[in-house]
Amino acid sequence: MGRTGRHADAGLPEGGIVTNRNPMKDQVAIVGLGSTGFSREGGASSLAMALAAATEAITDAGLTAADIDGIVATNEPGATGPEKIAAGLGIAEATHHTKPTPVAMFSLLDAARAVFTGAADHVLVVTPVVMGPWNSRRAAADPWRRGARSGILPVPEDATMAAAYAAWASRYIHEYGATKDPFARVAINSRTNAAANPLAAVDTPLSFGAYEAARMIREPLNIYDMDLPVDGADAFVLTSAERARSLPHTPVLIHAATSGIVGKNDEDQLDGLHRTGQHVVVDQLRRTSDIWIDDIDLFYPYEGFTIITLTWFENCGFCAPGEAERFLREHWNDDAQRIEIHGRIPVNTHGGSLSEGATRGTGHLREAVHQLRGTAGPRQVDYARAALVTPGGFFFNPQGAVLRTAP
Amino acid sequence: MNGNSEETDDALIARFAGNGITRDNADHFRGRLDRRLLMARCADCGRWQHPPRPMCPACWSWNMAMDEVSGRGTIHLLMVLHQGPPAPGVDYGAGHPVVTVELVEQPALRFTSTVSDDFPADDLAIGTAVEVEWAERDGTPMPVFRKAAS
Repeated sequence: MGRTGRHADAGLPEGGIVTNRNPMKDQVAIVGLGSTGFSREGGASSLAMALAAATEAITDAGLTAADIDGIVATNEPGATGPEKIAAGLGIAEATHHTKPTPVAMFSLLDAARAVFTGAADHVLVVTPVVMGPWNSRRAAADPWRRGARSGILPVPEDATMAAAYAAWASRYIHEYGATKDPFARVAINSRTNAAANPLAAVDTPLSFGAYEAARMIREPLNIYDMDLPVDGADAFVLTSAERARSLPHTPVLIHAATSGIVGKNDEDQLDGLHRTGQHVVVDQLRRTSDIWIDDIDLFYPYEGFTIITLTWFENCGFCAPGEAERFLREHWNDDAQRIEIHGRIPVNTHGGSLSEGATRGTGHLREAVHQLRGTAGPRQVDYARAALVTPGGFFFNPQGAVLRTAP
Repeated sequence: MNGNSEETDDALIARFAGNGITRDNADHFRGRLDRRLLMARCADCGRWQHPPRPMCPACWSWNMAMDEVSGRGTIHLLMVLHQGPPAPGVDYGAGHPVVTVELVEQPALRFTSTVSDDFPADDLAIGTAVEVEWAERDGTPMPVFRKAAS
């Protein structure tokens, strides 16, 4: 396996892992999108939202239930399994039916691989998210949410799951002498962009002053550093690039995609921020993608917590480790109150998890597809041809994809 | 020492219900009842691992045992919780510190807890040397960290 040339060219480490094979490159397309939009009010069941997004995505793809032979239903809390989604949609028969763990790309990767291997021809991905009773007073008062369980331990002295991001944010600030300024810019960027997105749960502007005055939750992270719990659902339809050419929308091709972890990924035992699953994802994308950060038009780094976004900027190579503060200041459009890399690459144009809502990355992927196929409405970037999307955090769910339209 | 480490599985599980107790980490919690901070260590190659798992990831030995750590280390990660799950004696209004301490036994071997009630505020920072002491929550011994005697 000829690893040396490409690794040497890209300056990638030779040790350890994996492969630079990417036979799936540009062979699978995202051809349908559906979304309920996201809100903090709720009122519909997880299944109702899943079916609403799914029917919209299938219709958007120019297909019907009779065409769908694969169902990937993300295993979100309270979500319905693929077999009941099939029942609910009136699908006749399916040859691929799975429920991958949350954060968006596990489901998209599974669907893409099903199409590529011939397991199914038209695969539906559906991801409903619902607020847990622990997410807000209003949610706690909702009897329909009472049965839900959080994965978070009910003891305060815990630095796993969500709390781990606050803990490592403290380490980032300590190691690099960072201030909260870059964290604020990530949050403000998302809020600014959400204003042009009718699907977003929140669209009121956020100022630096309001960010600084915000209520601390898990110090050093405040309420604006944490994604916004919402109800809603996204759905996607994937098929082969060949089949996609006869469907209504410009096909958006999966050029390269991966997930990645380091083995030693227990949150509070991580060796350090110098080598996380984000690095594994980036190295693998650089091995398998012909397109990298000099060639992309849009960037969708995850921001379930703002610290995650800073490290995605650094680990993708936009700037060196610890340099996100300088980088975001230099690439800030002060008139627009948002990040524009080199004045041309906008970031999380939909408002991300911080302001559109905590979709766990489906929003980032949906918006990238809208932009690339030219259906992003008032947010449309008219030169959009390639996007880098990086869902997930540090520990057990980092993921990435390069999406493009046909050359 | 209160000798409660002989407690039955049922009683142990009830006592540490909120802590995610499993077969694999039960002996760590038994150690707490004796006010000993026990962590998993490979009896063959000597590597520590936390959280406890039944096999050594370094040498694939199944000869894992619980061994007592010194409880000495430095604060590696730090957060101050202003809200969180209700717990006896925890006042989120004042801010509840949670520290992840890197122990002297092995690089990146860490234990997460809170600090002693009299921990000096000025020293609550990453890099501060600490050592374990035993507090109680709901009548159950709990390892916390105090500033190390210099």
